[in-house]
Amino acid sequence: MATSNNYLHLARPLAPAPIATSLPSTTSPVSVTLQPQALFSILDHASRRPADQERVIGTLLGTRSEDGTEVSVTNCYAIPHTETGEQVEVDMDYQKRMLELHLRAAPKEVLVGWYATSGELNTFSALIQNFYSQQGEGTFPHPAVHLTVSTVAGKEVEANTYISAPIGVTPERAADSCLFIPVPHEIRYDEASKSGLEMIAGARNKENREQILQTDIETLESAIEQVLEMLERVSAYVSDVLDEEKEPSTALGQFLLNTLSLAPKVDAEDIERDFNNHIQDVLLVSYLANTIRTQIDLSNRLATAAITMGGDSNVAAGAGGGDGKEGGKQGGGRGGREGGRGGRGGGDREGGQAGPGGRRE
Amino acid sequence: MADSGLKDVPLREVQVEALVVMRIIKHSSQAFPSYATGSLVGMDVNGVLQITNSFPFPTVDSTSSDDRHDNSNSAAAAPRAKSNVAYQNEMIKLLREVNVDAQTTGWYLSTSMGNFISANTVENQYFYQKEPNERAVTLVHDVSRSSTGSLSLKAFRLSSTFMAAYKEGKFTTETIQKSNLRYQDIFTELPITIHNSHLLTSLLHQLPAQPAKKELSIPADLASLTHDPALTHIPLAPNFDSLELSIDPFLEKSCDLLLDSIENHHNELNNHQYYQRSLAREQAKITQWQAKRKAENQARAITKQPPLPEDEWQRLFKLPQEPSRLDIMLNSRQVEQYARQVDAFTASVSGKMFAVKTNLLPGELA
Repeated sequence: MATSNNYLHLARPLAPAPIATSLPSTTSPVSVTLQPQALFSILDHASRRPADQERVIGTLLGTRSEDGTEVSVTNCYAIPHTETGEQVEVDMDYQKRMLELHLRAAPKEVLVGWYATSGELNTFSALIQNFYSQQGEGTFPHPAVHLTVSTVAGKEVEANTYISAPIGVTPERAADSCLFIPVPHEIRYDEASKSGLEMIAGARNKENREQILQTDIETLESAIEQVLEMLERVSAYVSDVLDEEKEPSTALGQFLLNTLSLAPKVDAEDIERDFNNHIQDVLLVSYLANTIRTQIDLSNRLATAAITMGGDSNVAAGAGGGDGKEGGKQGGGRGGREGGRGGRGGGDREGGQAGPGGRRE
Repeated sequence: MADSGLKDVPLREVQVEALVVMRIIKHSSQAFPSYATGSLVGMDVNGVLQITNSFPFPTVDSTSSDDRHDNSNSAAAAPRAKSNVAYQNEMIKLLREVNVDAQTTGWYLSTSMGNFISANTVENQYFYQKEPNERAVTLVHDVSRSSTGSLSLKAFRLSSTFMAAYKEGKFTTETIQKSNLRYQDIFTELPITIHNSHLLTSLLHQLPAQPAKKELSIPADLASLTHDPALTHIPLAPNFDSLELSIDPFLEKSCDLLLDSIENHHNELNNHQYYQRSLAREQAKITQWQAKRKAENQARAITKQPPLPEDEWQRLFKLPQEPSRLDIMLNSRQVEQYARQVDAFTASVSGKMFAVKTNLLPGELA
């Protein structure tokens, strides 16, 4: 995945179409987009495989574009299978049931192919690939995508995607032969997962591979530090160029000029005024939120506080026990931010309020 | 491994696998703006709850239902719906065959702007937590807060005092006075750490993260600089969304949500006052009737007739029920959640704004 490969698409002749009326299976160019959670799920499955198995397989789910040339893999699940030297067994019933469960949760996804966690392609792969491409259960008439992820410990994790075309040596071996055509693939990270990925990536340099979730302030701090570091590098380069220690570059100079011209040119008073307004807005909302929280807390406490003194209707007005004592039915701060049941906190609401201790029917 | 021993160790911490984080994010962002719910599986190790996999619950397709409220309600209630319990059991059975941990460790939900404390949430968590030996948490992922820079994922459990009170189902003033339950005590929050497997760590090291530290070659012209794929397509590039400086949308939404909560609060208060008034009226009627009865009895005693019973009032007059205070408590907890969010926002935004101001005003140092 460090370098991007170039792909040459080979269109192979097709086997005769099984049913004349249906569309023939196509081997038109396909490009595959992988989403990170599918990849993570495959790696997780690889690490959970039973001790005696070299590789494990599973099904890929995803969406396909209108004309079938763009396939996006969004989800996957594992399938138990056993593989010996001579034969391979895949639990088809499991595949059907899992597929049905997954489609209930995500009705817009379809079966797009299958994956294996080792990079090799052998006859078993061909057999499984033909199964996935067939009519009925498989992805017919679209080609099934086969994804191999090499999970050898210590080496790079390499992903390759293929589609297949039938290739016949003899009619008896047609079922387990096929030609795997590599197709371009790309791992695309969408906007929403960026923050999650950042957290996950933060753990990669630690011993125990753990990362505590950071608060907003901490992420802000680390983002600012990174920007500062980048700025340092650029300014070091620029001063080197000025001292004629490094080669100047028109491209970099143009880019820097373009970027720096994006800084807004505003008058100083405007800046002050806008800044003050904005800060006031933010502080106002913060103050309000905390005030509301305190008021509601107070209201709850007053409502459920134990009734201490019976005679003083002021305090009893605040207590308001649950057995219908007559005191304590103030207006309750209707129509405002009050919430205080005793109505004593900030009772400058409606004019009819009879002041603390008065009763209002 | 004795199960009774496990029950005594309280949960201190939640450890979430990277896979689960990605899946939750994907499901939440797909379902936005409605809720997304799903189930978590994992294992409990020495007081640390490890969550190793997750799967979403099926919901009604949004185009088919006519009322959007209906839809979000069904999504929010999904974890405890009977059909979904069957779904969950079958899913776990199948997952067990491929060596995925089979213990249900809770459920997750997505929210926007912290708007998740509702009766549905509490009921769902109660449904999971009421089994004996059940170690279940609610993972809440806030979609809108995560898009402003840092991942917002929280783990909650219901506190034991609240569980006991909820079991009884009565939230009247007296029971609350007795148990001293405050709205802050409903949820306990647990710290979360993210954990990566070895394979994943090696993958992460492969992906280009920051711009390379070594010397880069000088680009030929501007076009090749802006379009160089090695520079523009960096998957793990540091996320600079947190340096955005737009405050108005957040403030507006927060104010709207706070106003809604206040309205709810007032509605509940009015209910309670109505109850108080009707209770007082009934009491007045009862005392009146008792006085009448007494007078009658006295009259009868004079005429040597047997006195009428004095406690018939219990059958004649029905005292109104006190409305439950649970909604007020949940509402208060929600307000506290909003207030905390606003505080966190204020902290980072004021820092950013002072920085920008100092930069824009030429020559100023403070």
